[in-house]
Amino acid sequence: MPFVRDILNYRSLSIVGLDKNTGKTVCLNYILRRLNSLGIPVGVTSIGVDGEQVDSVFATAKPEITLYEGMRFITSEQHYLKRQLLSVLEHVDSRRTALGPLVTARVLLRGKALLSGAATTGVLRDQIQLLDSMGSRLAIVDGALSRLSLASPTVTEAMVLATGAAVSASVKQLVARTLFQYRLICLDEVDRDLRPRLSTIESGLWGIDDDGQPHDLGIASVFLIGRSDTDLLRYGTTLFAAGAVSDRLLRTLAAKAKGITLIARDFTKLFISPEAYNDFLRRDGRLMVLQRTRLIAVTLNPTSPQGFVLDSDATCHALADALQTPVYDVMKINPPQ
Amino acid sequence: MKIRELVKQDPGFQYVIDSMELMSSAGRRAMLDTDFFVDPGALEAEWNRSDSAIDATLDSGNRRAYNDLRHCLMQLHDLQGTLAALASHTTLNEVELFEIKNLALLAGKASTAIASLGLAEALPMPVVADVFALLDPDRTGIANFYIYDSYDPRLAPLRRELRSLQEHEGDPLRIGELLAEQNDIQNSVCTALSDRLLPFCHDLSTVMEQMAYADFLLAKAELSLRWHLVRPRLGDHTAFTALFNPRLRDNNERLGLRYQPVDIDVASGVTLVTGANMAGKTVLLKTIGTAQLMAQCGMRVPAEAAVLMPVEGVVASIGDEQNEMNGLSSYASEIIKISDILQRMRRERLLVLIDEPARTTNPVEGKALVQAIIKLMEPMSSVTLITTHYGQLGSRCRRLRVRGFVEDMADVPLTPQNINRFIDYSLAEDTGDDVPHEALRIAAILGCDEELISLAHSNINQ
Repeated sequence: MPFVRDILNYRSLSIVGLDKNTGKTVCLNYILRRLNSLGIPVGVTSIGVDGEQVDSVFATAKPEITLYEGMRFITSEQHYLKRQLLSVLEHVDSRRTALGPLVTARVLLRGKALLSGAATTGVLRDQIQLLDSMGSRLAIVDGALSRLSLASPTVTEAMVLATGAAVSASVKQLVARTLFQYRLICLDEVDRDLRPRLSTIESGLWGIDDDGQPHDLGIASVFLIGRSDTDLLRYGTTLFAAGAVSDRLLRTLAAKAKGITLIARDFTKLFISPEAYNDFLRRDGRLMVLQRTRLIAVTLNPTSPQGFVLDSDATCHALADALQTPVYDVMKINPPQ
Repeated sequence: MKIRELVKQDPGFQYVIDSMELMSSAGRRAMLDTDFFVDPGALEAEWNRSDSAIDATLDSGNRRAYNDLRHCLMQLHDLQGTLAALASHTTLNEVELFEIKNLALLAGKASTAIASLGLAEALPMPVVADVFALLDPDRTGIANFYIYDSYDPRLAPLRRELRSLQEHEGDPLRIGELLAEQNDIQNSVCTALSDRLLPFCHDLSTVMEQMAYADFLLAKAELSLRWHLVRPRLGDHTAFTALFNPRLRDNNERLGLRYQPVDIDVASGVTLVTGANMAGKTVLLKTIGTAQLMAQCGMRVPAEAAVLMPVEGVVASIGDEQNEMNGLSSYASEIIKISDILQRMRRERLLVLIDEPARTTNPVEGKALVQAIIKLMEPMSSVTLITTHYGQLGSRCRRLRVRGFVEDMADVPLTPQNINRFIDYSLAEDTGDDVPHEALRIAAILGCDEELISLAHSNINQ
């Protein structure tokens, strides 16, 4: 069976959908079933509220998450009380969410549950730590709509990217959007010796000199960069953006000089459009990251929430050709029950 | 009045409360709900409990019990809502029952630690072992909880069948039936357990509140030791030796500036405080106010030694009270406030702190007002401190003068940045009726416009 063995090299994994209804939950169910048959103790949680029985945007039926004996899961009190499995409560968090406190339980008798989780990556990190301390070999985080932040390598070590017909009805567009995200996820990492010098910097735009030393360029927010007339290249053409990277930053830099290298913290800090990125590349620009997320697999959900179905084989092939990496149809590896 | 309201009146006291390192939200709530003690007996009793917490913190032989207690408090959840629900005959759900079990478990561990720390008298804890036993039918001894098979004879066979069906991907309809049946049984168990827990409701509330209070006591003890606070003794006047303002001292330390504690002794009646600008008169008033609040909320005070006369409240008119939203000028809101204070003083014994009254109106009427304020407040039982720049008041009251600017106090050249090093903040009894005339001298040191200063000088000499 594809890619599950690769997951076992990591302590935490996020499942991120490129859009809603891209088959995240189906993918998660597949992974949990496989890990159960391998006898691996895993913990599962989610960011934000997800795992609703009925998808709240399109009102389509949504597969619940099936959890097996010995697995731990974190969810809100309200979702816990609705579970269709037998489990023993092991921890209740003192912080409250809109759906009550987050609870941690161990499954005694398999069944289905709704997952909801931390609203912030800080709390999510605590939850992953908690699962780890309770003996889970791997913590899996189910992503929520447009929550890319959980896939940051500072939160989870590895990720699975789910794409599908929900992203676009056109295979060409679907491939283009998936490819763009894939390229950002796979950006090269900076040299090992440069990383510790930059990772503690919390904000601002920094110039990196020939000796690899960072210097603050005195720009508090990259969103203000258009108004600044500071010489951004006074320390050379390598820059580090500690916060978000925007189209405006890319375009400003592309306009200043050719051959600029811009380092971002990780791909979740990139809020850029394909157009701006391509303009930057045409000026011989290069984007890099401090830390790269390990992408384990790309999965495809060929069915869109509106009901039309893409040709699975053709789409998988088109994606695999563009990405140069295997792409799996989640419906085939995990047939709907 | 509770700490919750008092911190809103005094930013200095807010700083003290914010500096308390509590481990639980229940502890924080207990702290904010603490009363301002007026009764001397109750105040002594609270100081005694605080002292026993300090002794327990310092007792190095009891490190383990101390850490055990802290560990319990860190895990304490505020179950006020759950216990109120239980008391009103609501059926608790599995998560709430887990919380109750956890509380009972923590209470048992905390009681042991409290006893070996010698705090049993300060923190009497009811025994809730029966609650734990009820929620731990299989005697696991740990906090984990679910509706155990042993709660209902129907559960074990049902779950056996369910397990067999789930593992062999059996009939989904039958699985659905069994899940629904299990759900019904679990709900009836929750109802039965809630009924059996009802008699323990009061004891459970008590252990939670005692643990919350223990959190507050330990935080008080830790702050007392960190800031070197002192326990006051009760008296018929209020006196501080080496009184310091925690917020200002911390701030000065951060900036590398000198901080000078002061001695002060005040009693019923008016004490007029005079002194040059920048001499710390306002800070002195604020510090005394904060110290009185700390003391009467059962804390130690920021001084080397202290005598305290308990009052019924601390009231202040300090700083710019201008409230443009009410359409009031700074003078209007100040004089209304002072008038309100006067009304209260006719009924209660207060600590009254008034900073430069009537400074924003014309000096003729302003001076007359200050004279009237002093005359009315002087015979009252309240302890009143008033700062002023008005001289020749002719009022009968005690006077203290901040020694103030001393040109040869430090052996470095005087600059606007280091002027703080040339001020002696200590107080001296003043028998005269005049005030220091140093406003122009200080303006000159601060490097203000020379023409302005020399013109002002010539105006005085005319």
